[in-house]
This record gives sequence, structure tokens and C-alpha cells, in this order.
Amino acid sequence: MAYLVAADTGGTFTDIAVYDPASRRIRFGKTLTTYGNLVDGVAQGMAEAGAEPAETASLRHGTTHVINAFLQRRGARTALVATRGFRDVLEIGRGSRPLPFELGFRRDPPLVPRALRLEVAERIAADGSVLEPLDEDGLAALLPALRAAEVQAVAVSFLNAYANPVHEERAAALLRAALPGAYVTTGTALTREWFEYERSATAAANAYVGPAIASYAKGFAERLGAEGFAGGLAMMGSNGGVMPFAAAVERPVALVESGPIGGVIAAAEYARALGLPRVVAFDMGGTTAKCALVEEGGFAVQSTYWVGGYARGFPIRSPVLDIVEVGAGGGSIAWADAQGRLHVGPRSAGSEPGPVAFGRGGTEPTVTDANLVLGRIGGASFLGGRLTLDAAAAAAAIRDKVAIPLGYGEGAEATARVARGVLDLATTLMAGAVKEITVARGHDVRDFALMAFGGGGPIFGADLARELGIPLVIVPPQPGNFSAAGMLLAGARLDVARSLVADLSPSGMASLAAALEALEAEARAAAQREFGDVAARLSHQAEMRYRGQRHAVLVDFAGAPEATALCEAFERTYRARFGRSLGVDFAPEVVGLRVIAEGETARPDLAAISPAAPPGSSPCPIAHRPLHGPGGWTEAPVWRRESLPVGFALTGPAVIEEYGATTLLGPGDRAEIGALGEITIRVAA
Amino acid sequence: MSHLPPAGTQDPIELEILRHEILSIPNQIERNIERTAFSPLVQEYKDYAVGLVDPEGALVAQSRGSLPIFVANALGTGVREALEIHGAEALRHGDAVLTNSAATLGQHLNNVVLSTPIREGGAADGALLGFFAVLVHWIDVGGSTPGSSTGTNTTDVWQEGLQLPSVRLLQGGRRNEDVFRLCAANSRFPRLLLGDLEAQLAGCLLGRDMVLEVAARRGVPLLRATVAAMRRQAEAAAATVIAAIPPGEYYAESVLDGEAGVTVPVGVAVRVRDGRLTVDLSGLGPQMAGPSNAGRNGGAVAAARIAAKYVLTPDEPVNQGDFDRLTVEAPDGTFLTARPDAPIGGSGNTIPTVVDTILRALGEALPDRAAAAHHGTYGVHTLFGRLANGELFANLDTATGGWGATAEEDGAFPLRSNAHGDVPDIPVEMQEALYPFLLLGKALRPDSGGPGRRRGGLGVEKTYRILAPCKVSLKFERAQCPPWGLQGGGAGQTCFVEIRRAGGEVLRRWKGTYALEPGDTLRVVSGGGGGYGPPWEREPERVLADIAAGYVTPGHAAEAYGVLLGPDGALDRAATERRRAELRATARHDDAKGGQAA
Repeated sequence: MAYLVAADTGGTFTDIAVYDPASRRIRFGKTLTTYGNLVDGVAQGMAEAGAEPAETASLRHGTTHVINAFLQRRGARTALVATRGFRDVLEIGRGSRPLPFELGFRRDPPLVPRALRLEVAERIAADGSVLEPLDEDGLAALLPALRAAEVQAVAVSFLNAYANPVHEERAAALLRAALPGAYVTTGTALTREWFEYERSATAAANAYVGPAIASYAKGFAERLGAEGFAGGLAMMGSNGGVMPFAAAVERPVALVESGPIGGVIAAAEYARALGLPRVVAFDMGGTTAKCALVEEGGFAVQSTYWVGGYARGFPIRSPVLDIVEVGAGGGSIAWADAQGRLHVGPRSAGSEPGPVAFGRGGTEPTVTDANLVLGRIGGASFLGGRLTLDAAAAAAAIRDKVAIPLGYGEGAEATARVARGVLDLATTLMAGAVKEITVARGHDVRDFALMAFGGGGPIFGADLARELGIPLVIVPPQPGNFSAAGMLLAGARLDVARSLVADLSPSGMASLAAALEALEAEARAAAQREFGDVAARLSHQAEMRYRGQRHAVLVDFAGAPEATALCEAFERTYRARFGRSLGVDFAPEVVGLRVIAEGETARPDLAAISPAAPPGSSPCPIAHRPLHGPGGWTEAPVWRRESLPVGFALTGPAVIEEYGATTLLGPGDRAEIGALGEITIRVAA
Repeated sequence: MSHLPPAGTQDPIELEILRHEILSIPNQIERNIERTAFSPLVQEYKDYAVGLVDPEGALVAQSRGSLPIFVANALGTGVREALEIHGAEALRHGDAVLTNSAATLGQHLNNVVLSTPIREGGAADGALLGFFAVLVHWIDVGGSTPGSSTGTNTTDVWQEGLQLPSVRLLQGGRRNEDVFRLCAANSRFPRLLLGDLEAQLAGCLLGRDMVLEVAARRGVPLLRATVAAMRRQAEAAAATVIAAIPPGEYYAESVLDGEAGVTVPVGVAVRVRDGRLTVDLSGLGPQMAGPSNAGRNGGAVAAARIAAKYVLTPDEPVNQGDFDRLTVEAPDGTFLTARPDAPIGGSGNTIPTVVDTILRALGEALPDRAAAAHHGTYGVHTLFGRLANGELFANLDTATGGWGATAEEDGAFPLRSNAHGDVPDIPVEMQEALYPFLLLGKALRPDSGGPGRRRGGLGVEKTYRILAPCKVSLKFERAQCPPWGLQGGGAGQTCFVEIRRAGGEVLRRWKGTYALEPGDTLRVVSGGGGGYGPPWEREPERVLADIAAGYVTPGHAAEAYGVLLGPDGALDRAATERRRAELRATARHDDAKGGQAA
């Protein structure tokens, strides 16, 4: 027996998914996250899901460890070694004020305080030539200060090192030799793109979490090893690939969105399997809703990620799933302001105290309370009946905290009206996030299907699609465990990228070809190191733009770079994104190359997750209950998802319940159970 | 759909939902433009504004990234000019109008507003619902100097570039290629300009279509009601804050460096009466001979509105209603109400100081919201010339510096001026890859923050080594008016620019255009913010932490804060208390003579 296990450690729950190749089924486990030692929760969850460590071939781990270390400023005592004259780059940042009228605007302090930011003489020019050699004696002279401060980690980031990392690499080697206990990282080992602030911040961030992730990985491996585990251990990278523990320890910044990535991987797998070329992956949880695009079965990664938000946070340059998040989740609080306006979020009741309906001390009405008041979720069937919800308390809170202050009065109809308003406003906020990831990036949202998952996604999927003009909604199997399931489906992936500038002339193409060859060799070597004996498949992308533009679009290409083909592919992509292309007069150019190595790993097929009932079964509703829709109250049937066989079709209004999620059909929405057990909803206008 | 809207009003929930949709449109368009623009000024420096304007030219919504300097409603002002020149009837669906008229907008000619009418159903003569407008800082519109607004010696507006008084770029959906050609021919960087213009136009039309889509889905009556409610709510929120200000008149004054070594007065009165706020700028000095002027809308009105927004409702999106209770009084002919023919290339340069001064007056009324002065200048420093291949280049850059301390917190640093918003520095690596110079350093400037119980923020020092012949044009302010402290806090150190010739000669300058040769170095040094409260009241631990970080040198700590260290580097308590007693006594003595601690 050789189980494949995925463990997704979230803020509240640790979700476990176990694939048993013998039965070809997936089992799920859910335990409370154990804050003292996270691996305890994983071990418990594995036990609950029946995966003996000794019988487990591999474990993938998604963790919020890295992002939490940043946000809570729990990291190593870190030093930065910078080019002489530039140690303050980390603190100066880019000097802008994203909150333009806040007189007291401040950015979060940098991860490395000024006293631990040191300088050494060296200088590389923008073309990569060495203007001034690395002053090795000067570097040695910094050691007493680093030792005296007992630094645990050192980041090395030099100006223009993106064009030539030789000084960074030499300095790092010298520091490693001189400070054997310290974690040493360089900016260019993490990103070879220009922009000194972003690269320094990335190096500092990597050093800051490096020691903690190293000891976490070690403890994790030892604990599971003690229980007989001898399989492979990997973590989920923010780019959607799995990273062996050793690679994750070298590049912990690559784990910054390790948590949410699983759901999007799974969405991409379903999109491929269902033949859907363009999908918005929509994940609604307790505190936020997130969305990402899946195109042609792949998803976009962005190269700059802002830890703690753009306004006050710091950037890291690392391939991170391109995701837009909005503060609207099940726990988001609805409130009225002094101007008589309704708001939803961004504050959340979280899981403690939780919505009023949970009866755990929550007093402020939430999105979940509004769903309950309108019959959209069942009071007795929440989480399979593990929690009974108090609809009367939820209604009273909406009445007292929102309906009366806004002037709607105190009757039941007024409460229902306001509850509907809370949901409509939440839908509008989520639609804004979907538009941000489509319209702002040059896509027409109506060309996409919506894949809705997470605890709240399936309730809102059809309403949200209607709002956006999206005709098709997919609710995949196991929406409440989608992230853990997605981790089982992930392949091995690593990205190597390089900034360079080349026009479409023969000499430009020659320099591209040379760079591509070097990158491919690097990607192969890295894949060998990280994937072991799994064969790597390489693909290429060029970052292209019109000369003078700063933002580039990613263009896929195969084989050797060729000017006409690149130009055509670029103009096609640009046209699709931004409506019109500008032609060769505007001089298309290549500003970066990316080689992606992917390795197939043993993983389950999607049929293993299908919840559909056996063919031929004839389901009937388990109940009818009052459901409030756009036209007022109606009596709607409630179905169990597991009772519905492939091919079964139904028309809304209707409710489909399963463990951890509820799917809602509005009047005229037509749902059908697909071959993989997915619910396909054709949304009524 | 709405069951029980409160009697006699629109349903507040429907209004709120639509309000969110309206607010989100300019934000989406902003991102779209940023991704398609060509010049670093738009993509990296983000010098633009995107918004929705009502049929009369009042601002409804503006994107998050739009700069404060544009809240004077540069967008609405541009639309009002188009309405005046063409009449609402003649502005059809599919038209798009350019303007940068000095007489109307009153800001440097690089700021060009493109607006397009939004007509119901997208029909040529459908009911007018409003305008979608995008302002972009064009990289060059001709004039005497590359970059146009960067000239330091202009004496009238015609030396500063091309004017486009509500000229149609698009008519009935057809591109007016003549105008594209005209704009390109009058720019030193036609390719970058046309690329930016395409982004500006595409963003404008996409924004219009998104509003039309919302109008079709939600209905025109609800759209109109929402627009009206947004203005009402913005006004009500501002009124609440004004009501909390003790009625009265509050004064503050400062000076500008001026252009010829003669300082220019900045006298401000703020009156709070009958629920209204009046900013009286009659104490501003007269129009100047050179380009440090602005017209009324881009000058006096902009400065007063920026200051009001900082104090009244800083967290709310910008809307015309924010300013419905604001009156701006200023006679014609001041440097912020300059005549239409006045040179205005540096129209924004005086604004941070004027805003600082208005905030100082308001600070008298609302001491708990007061902050000491910030570095207070755009600090424009543009390096320009020709690349090795003969192409022209111009690298427009502005200063970041220290901000003022408040009763609670040390000043922030380093940030751009109070008239800038989300304007990021262009990375050194990008500059070195594109232009013939090297940066030898970019560092915080120790001791530059004004001393105080809460310290002012620090300025920045940048040093360039010049590699090829080129020029630098400078527009710095606040040499004669150090960023003041409050409540006994000291002033921040002032900014300066230093040119060190290869031969050893050193020039210290704030304004003007200077030729540079290979081997010269250029130091651009920004100011610190003012401190708050007497420096000797600063907790010694905080001073020690500042010394450890290098924000404050031991010498400055002794002199300004009265904090003395022993030979081991630790605090010498006894010496510190003695020194602090002396500082306190000197301050009392100065007070008795009517002097200022600052």
C-alpha cells in the first residue's frame, strides 16, 4: 500500500486528503489546527483519515507558516549586506503614498532594522560588467558586527546583480564559510529580475523566514519519521508546483501563498478535464473570497506579491499565483455607518466567536447569518449536523444592527429585505474582485465559466455569475475540501526566469537563443535535483511588450525563438487582452524568458473524487424548506448531493447539500450532474 | 425587487450596491491603463487620474491611484470646458475630447484630460448620463525644454508647449488622425506619447462602456439617484467634521523661496462659520515672472481642496460633495490665480507648501489632528540630453523626504509631497539601464528630521555620477522656509542640490537648468519633517535607539535632544539631565523674549 497524502494547515482547520491507490478512492479528514506544534494536527488528521505513516508514499504540505511569520513579524534576527551607498533601499522603498490623504501614512517597518543593514564596496554596471571588484577584506570586516549581533540569517543583495550575480554569489560563499550557523541567501538566487528594492526585499524576506522554515521542516520530518514515515515530503509552492522540503528550505518565500494554491490547481485540473478553456476559480471561505483565472488549463502567476498588502506592505519577487482577494466571506460582518450606508466586511467574526447563529457569543450579524435567515443554508444540516444554527438569533441581530438603523423597521419582511441586501452587497464586492482579475487585465469576464468552491462558493456561485453575465457555473466535487484535494493533483513544477532585453532582429534572436539554452540547462539541472528521477517536461514563455512599455505579457512559444512567430504570438495575445495591437512600428521586444519544468508525479484521477450516486438510482428531495429568492419566499426542495447520479438534472429554485458546502439554484437555473460528479449550472438570465 | 424601502427615499441598499459598482470602475480602468501605457511616467510614476464625472462636470468617482493634485477636479474642469465650448448637445456618443488649456485647468500643459460623453444606450443622442475622463501626464508637449513642464526659464505659457482647447480626438467613433499627427509632431517623444495616448483613449472608452453596462442593468433612474446620493453623503460626512471644529478664524503663514532670491509670502486664513469652511488665500504673493505659477483651478482651488480632504474625510473616496461646504477665496493675480498667459510649467511646485500652511492653520483649530510640516516640495530634478545613439532622453524625478511628527508619532519617511499620492520612485536599476549616469548612493540623511518629543521624518540623499554630457533642471522649494515643528518641536533640515564639477568647483542650487559633464557629481538632498513637542522631553531610550539606527548622530543627540553618552556608549543620565535643564532654561528665556523654540 502506498497512500498519497495532502495536508493543508489553515488558520482554523487542518484538512487532510488521502488517496488510496488500491481502492482508487480519496478520503478526507479535518482536525483543528494545533498551534503549539502544527505537525500534531497533521498526524491526527492522517489517523482520522486512516493513513498510516508507515504506509504513506508521499506527503504534500500546504502551510500558512511563511505568510504568518511575515504578518506577525516572527522571524529570524536578520542582517542585510548591500552595495555601498544602498543599504537604505530597503527602508526608502519607493517613496509613494498609496493612501493619498492619510496625513499619518506610514509603511510597515522593514524586516531588517537599520543597525543590521551593512554595506560593502563592489559595483556591477547595468550591462553586467564589473565596475568595482568585491571588497573581500571589507566583507570580512563586517563579521565581528554580525557575530556580535548574533544574527541568525543574512541576506545579500547588490545593485544590478540581476545582470551579473558573481559578487552576490562570492559574498554569500564567504559569509557561509565564516558564519556556519547562519542562514545565508542572495537576491539573485530568488529572482533574476531588475528593480533593486523588490529584489532586496525578497532576499530579506527569504532570510527572515529561512531559519524557522528549516527547523519546521526538520521537526516535521522527524516527527513523521518517528511514526514510521519513510516517503517523500514536499511543500506546496505559490506557483502551483510541489517543492521537496530541501528546496522549500532554500526558497521559503516561494511558499507565501502555499495555502490557497491547492484549490486553484484542482480548478485547473477540472477545467482541463471538462474541456473548459477559460475559467474563473472562485474560492469563498470564512473571512475572504479569492479568485484566479484558469486559461487553457493553466493559471497565471504574477512576479510581484505584496506581503501585508500594497498600501503598507513589502514586495517579494517570486512566482505567485495571480489571485485577487476581497474581504467578503461567510464570517464578514454587516453594519450600518453614520451616513446610513450598509457595509459588509472587511471585519470578520472568524470562527471565534463566529456568526451570531453559531451561538458562541457572536453579536454582530454576518453573511452566514443572512444566508440562514433566508433559508439558503439549513440550520440543522450545517457541517453535516455537527453544529446547529440559531436562525432566530441571526434574524434578531440583522434586525437590530442593520434593519432598524437603516430605517427599514423591525418586521420579518424588513429583516428579510435587509438580509437579501447584505447578500447582494457581498455579491457586488465579490463581482468587483472577479472584474479586477479579468477587466483590469484585459479580459471579458463573460467569456469565462465560474468554478465555485470553498465553504461559501457554491451558495453564491449562481448569483455571482448572474451579476457578471457569466452563463455557466461548475460546482466541483468536494468543494469544502477542494484545496487539500488539489494538492494531491499537483505535479512537480519549477520556474526559472531571467530578465534580458532583445529586439526581434537576427542578433536579438541569437542572444535569446543563447539565453534560452542556458536557462534550459539550468532548469534541467534544478529539476534533476528537485524532482529526482521524475522526467521533466520543459516549456518556454517569453515576456514581451512594445518597446517603452513596462508591463509585459507572457507569450508561449515552442522550439527555438523565431522573430516572426514571436511577433505574431505577441500581437495575438496583446489583441486578445487589450482590444487592439499596435503593429511592428511600435517595436515589439522580449524582456524576459521563463522556462518551466514540470514533472508528472503519481496522482489520483478525478473519478476518484466523484460523489455521484450509482447510475440508475432515483433520488428524491430530503426535505422542502422556505427559501427567499429575488421574488420573495418560495418552498424549495432540498437534495443530498450524494443521492444524485450522473446525468440527473433539476431546475431551481433548489438547494443541494453536502458536507461542508451548500449549492443554491435560483429560479430557472438548470443543474445537471456531470461525468466527474460535478454540478454544472446553466444560469438563468 | 425592493420590498420595503424606507418611505420617501431611494432604497439605501440598492444605492449602496450601485455605489460600489461605480467606485470600482475607475479602479479597474486605472490598472488597465497602467498595463498598456508606454512611458515610465505613467507605468511606474503613475502620473494620472481616472474618473467619472456627472453631466454638469462634477466629480462622481475617481480611481484610488489618482493623485491629490488632481482632486481639484481636473477631470471635471476639463469636462466643463468641453461643455462650454461645444455645448452638451454636440457631444455625442463616440466623441472624445482632449484639453490641457492653461486658462481652464491652470496646471502645466503636460496634464491632458481626455473625456468622452456617456449617453444612455450608447446612442448618439441618448440622454447624457455623465462623462468618463482620464488625465495623463504626457511625456512631452513641446516647448523650450525636453519634458515641457521641466523648463525653469520660461516667461509665458507658449514657451511651455502645445495647447489643445477641447479638441476632438474621436468623432462619432471615428479617429481624428489629424489630431494624432498634430500631437505627435509637437512632441519630442512621439512614440511614447502615442503609446500613452492609445492607453488613455482605450481606458476612457472602456470606462464609458462599463458605466453604460451598469446603467443598462440597473436602470438609469437608479444610476442618477446613486450619483446624487454619493454627493449628498460626501457632503454630510464633511459637514460632520466641520461641525466639530470650533467656529472662528485661524491664520498661518510661511514663505516660498521665490524665483530670484526674493521670498514670496504665503498667508492663509481659514474661517469656520455656519457649517462652512472658507480658505482665504488673499495673503498669497503676486504672480511670479517664471514658471512657479498656476491658474485658479489648478492652483488656489486645488491647494484648498487637498488640505480640506486631508482633514475632513481622508478615508472616503473623492467626490464633489467633499467640497460642497468649502469656499475658496483668492483675488486674481496671485501665484495660484495667475493670468492665462502666465508661465505655469512648475504649477504644482508651490502647492505642497501652501497645503502645509493651510493645514497649519487648521491645526490651530484641531490640535489633536495637527502634524508638523513635511519636506514640502516636489523637488523635481530632470536629467535630460541625448543618448549615445543620438536619441533624446528626459528622466523626470521628484524628491521623497521626511514628514512631520504628530503628538503621538515620529514623522514618516521618506515619502513624496502632500500633493503626490501613489507615485513610486523609478528604480535605480531601471535608470542606469536607460540613461548615461550612475547612482553612487541613495541613503537616509541622518539628523535631518526636526528634533522633538516626537522626531520629524528623515530626508534622503542621492548622488549621481554623470557619464555623458547632459543637463539637469531643478525645481526645489523650502530652502528659506524649513519644515516647521509644532509645540516646541524643531524644524527639519532643508533640501538642496549640489553640483560638484570634475574640476572641484561646487555649486549649491534649488532652481534652474545646469549643464553637466562626464565626471561631475550631482547630490540631490531632500529635507526632513518637523518635530513635535520639546526635544528634551523625548524619552532617552528613543534617542538611543535613533543613535543605534544612525537616524541621529551622537553630536546631534547632545546638541538638540540633550542626550549625552558615556565613554561606553551608554546613556550618561546625570550629564543628560544637566544638559536638558539648560535647554529648557534657554527655551524659557527665548519664550520670554518672544522667540520661538522652533
